[in-house]
Amino acid sequence: MSTISIVDCDVHQPSPTREQLAEYLDEPYRTEVAKHGTRRIASGIRGEDGGNRRDLDARRLRDPHYYREALLDRYGHRFALLSGATASIAGMPDPDYVNAMCKALNDFYMAHWLPVDPRFHLGLKIALQDPAGAVREIERLAGAPQVAAVCFFATANRIPFGDRYYWPIYEACERHNLPIHIHPSTGSTLANAAMTPAGHATTYLESHVCMPQFYMAQLASMVLNGIFEKFPRLRVAAVEGGVAWLPHLLWRMDAEFKALRQQAPFLKMMPSEYVKRNVRLTTQPVEEPPKPEQLGQIFDMIGADQILMYASDFPHWDFDEPTRLPRSLGETTLRRILHDNACEFFNLA
Amino acid sequence: MAWHALFPSCELSEGGVKLHPTGKREIGVFRHRGKLYAVLNFCPHAGAPICGGEIDHPIFVDQPGGDAKRDFENPTLRCPWHHWEFDLKNGKSLCPISPRIKTYAVREREGQIEVDL
Repeated sequence: MSTISIVDCDVHQPSPTREQLAEYLDEPYRTEVAKHGTRRIASGIRGEDGGNRRDLDARRLRDPHYYREALLDRYGHRFALLSGATASIAGMPDPDYVNAMCKALNDFYMAHWLPVDPRFHLGLKIALQDPAGAVREIERLAGAPQVAAVCFFATANRIPFGDRYYWPIYEACERHNLPIHIHPSTGSTLANAAMTPAGHATTYLESHVCMPQFYMAQLASMVLNGIFEKFPRLRVAAVEGGVAWLPHLLWRMDAEFKALRQQAPFLKMMPSEYVKRNVRLTTQPVEEPPKPEQLGQIFDMIGADQILMYASDFPHWDFDEPTRLPRSLGETTLRRILHDNACEFFNLA
Repeated sequence: MAWHALFPSCELSEGGVKLHPTGKREIGVFRHRGKLYAVLNFCPHAGAPICGGEIDHPIFVDQPGGDAKRDFENPTLRCPWHHWEFDLKNGKSLCPISPRIKTYAVREREGQIEVDL
């Protein structure tokens, strides 16, 4: 396994400082952010108990060279998808503000992070609140060196991802061959009006445990509303949402489609087949069953050698090293998860 | 394969279904919109007596957002237990799966309903 170079699907570079961001923002937001900082949706839970790994040098976490040393060089990365921080844009109600923020964030990372190491690749920030604005940002930056994906937020949207509202964004992603990277946005989850399907979570613990439920709902929405029939070349990564729930979702979608096909008559394949063709899941935080071999059984159920991609979530508290995956998977499957599947997903040679 | 008379035609009215015992199971004959359909009364999914289900006319859409059409020429039989949907003519599922119901050629001759067994 030591010989496998790593393709890491989720690395969190920090938000720029207020001063750095103001430099890249257009007015009227430059003055606003310089004076007040970025807007925030406060969910009322204490996320700080998560945060970053405590063993890292907190003074250097704004330095891309530190990421190169502590992550890329240490584990043998050939690629790291920079997915950034989400709190300043996810779920924000004002689309003009979010469009300006996304443009500034993308320009900042392209100026200050991507040149540091060719292995850094950017997940573009777009305003899901404004599909037309999102498409403009994709058009502006698609094809730029080291731009590798478009970021969606699983947990802070008023409209589920299967809705036709998003069709212009999917069309742009497909046209530019840019995959979609769906990541949680824990701090902004309140934008949904409910932090879990049951209501408002009390704690970050509860919110974090319930995260997979958002992914189940978003994937069901995309598949059963025909997104992958309409956009057959669209590629989607469900990042940091867990893995073990996938067999349940696949089985339930297929079983109920057999009974209720007339409600999705545009589907030409079974729902699970669309997931296997168009969707990939990332490993972190990989589940920890009481018997380690049970994880292997789950992996077998979902065809992990095809559908799973490695993610570290560096530098966050629930970071997984590449060695976190069970060795019992065998060299071939490990290589596919740590490298090959993501190479195909991101079109790496 | 040979034609077998099951029962008099007059016992099956338009919109109706009549069961006829065969071996350990039954054959159900439907008269729907003037045409006859014969199927084994057994769903391959969970063994339900499928002839107690509903006849439907399936909906087809080329792609999401496309114009929906209802096919009145190729009715389906929907199982009463879990609502799986099969083409009454050829027995195939409307979903891309392999299980299918068994269908029979059926005709009316000299006042009798006959199936090809």
